[in-house]
Amino acid sequence: MRTDAVEAVLRGLKRAGVSVATYLPDSLLKELYPALDADADIRTIPVTNEGEGAAIAGGVFLSGKRAVLVMENSGLRAATEHLARMGLGAGIPVVMIMSYRGEMGENNWWAIPHGITMEPLLQALRTPYTIVRTVEEIETAIVRAYDTAYASYYHAAIVLGGDLVR
Amino acid sequence: MSYSRFHAMRLLGDRLTDELVILSLGGAVDEWYNAAPHMRDASLFQQQLGCVTPEAFGLAVGLPHRRIVSLDTDGGLLFNLGILATLGNERPHNLLVVVWDNEQYQSIGGPRTHTAAGRVDLAAIARGAGVANAFTAETLEEFDQHCAAGLAATEPYLVVAKTDGILEPGIRRKHSDGREDKYIFVRHVEASEGITIMGPSEHN
Repeated sequence: MRTDAVEAVLRGLKRAGVSVATYLPDSLLKELYPALDADADIRTIPVTNEGEGAAIAGGVFLSGKRAVLVMENSGLRAATEHLARMGLGAGIPVVMIMSYRGEMGENNWWAIPHGITMEPLLQALRTPYTIVRTVEEIETAIVRAYDTAYASYYHAAIVLGGDLVR
Repeated sequence: MSYSRFHAMRLLGDRLTDELVILSLGGAVDEWYNAAPHMRDASLFQQQLGCVTPEAFGLAVGLPHRRIVSLDTDGGLLFNLGILATLGNERPHNLLVVVWDNEQYQSIGGPRTHTAAGRVDLAAIARGAGVANAFTAETLEEFDQHCAAGLAATEPYLVVAKTDGILEPGIRRKHSDGREDKYIFVRHVEASEGITIMGPSEHN
């Protein structure tokens, strides 16, 4: 992941008031995780699966603080049960930042399914999302995702793709 | 030797005042609603396998000065055992996890969970995951003692309550759904903390 993209993500999270990040690390965003760990304003919580990370983020919402779940887009599959229960069942929002594995140009066979399942799953979960491919868009896209999540009390997602993560 | 979950809930409820509770599932929801009526607004009633203890941990992270109680279940914890490893690493100082272990999926009529065969020990799994204070309460007296210790602990504390699977008869069922429950809980957190979580809309 590009250094300027990492910095833009951190700026966006701070502008949105985020103080907790749960994550299951992946390769495309690998430079982002240590940057989050090193940031004094953000507590990071590594988790064992993305559903757990979503549920922790939901609990943070209930405290009045703001959280983000950071993951590969394959994590959406692991988190779908938890996201459906909290979002559709109770209106507890989770804001997600995920890498776009399986995008056009993907060169790993095992990552192709991640691209196939991501958008249909986001749509099935009725989760609005923005696919971001330029550094200039990142900060505002993150802030707007929180605006939407805290107006709808529902999930929102940012997908980082293209040259940002390649 | 197993015991009544409802009676155990009453013992725990008697010890709670300004704590926040997140709980699941099925019959445990209605029992808690009746066993601790003074905690209704302070309790988030959920229907979520695998979400309860992670949500409680997230709440504990966000409100570090407040004691948080997770009322999980054998089926719910088995759905996401990974949270135990996360608690072992993150070591929240304000979280008590109670696991109602009746060895069955009671809300759907009682099929056995993996604890029913007598080989799966949730407290031992928790200790192996780094939650050193993890115990099984075989009697109501032991359960009450662990509640006292867990509510005063400064590191994560987990107690597995081996309950008998008999729903308390004659109790009133809770009528609200997940959304209403969330609003009730959030408004209680806002009032008791002096904060805004779900505020007014913008004028623009």
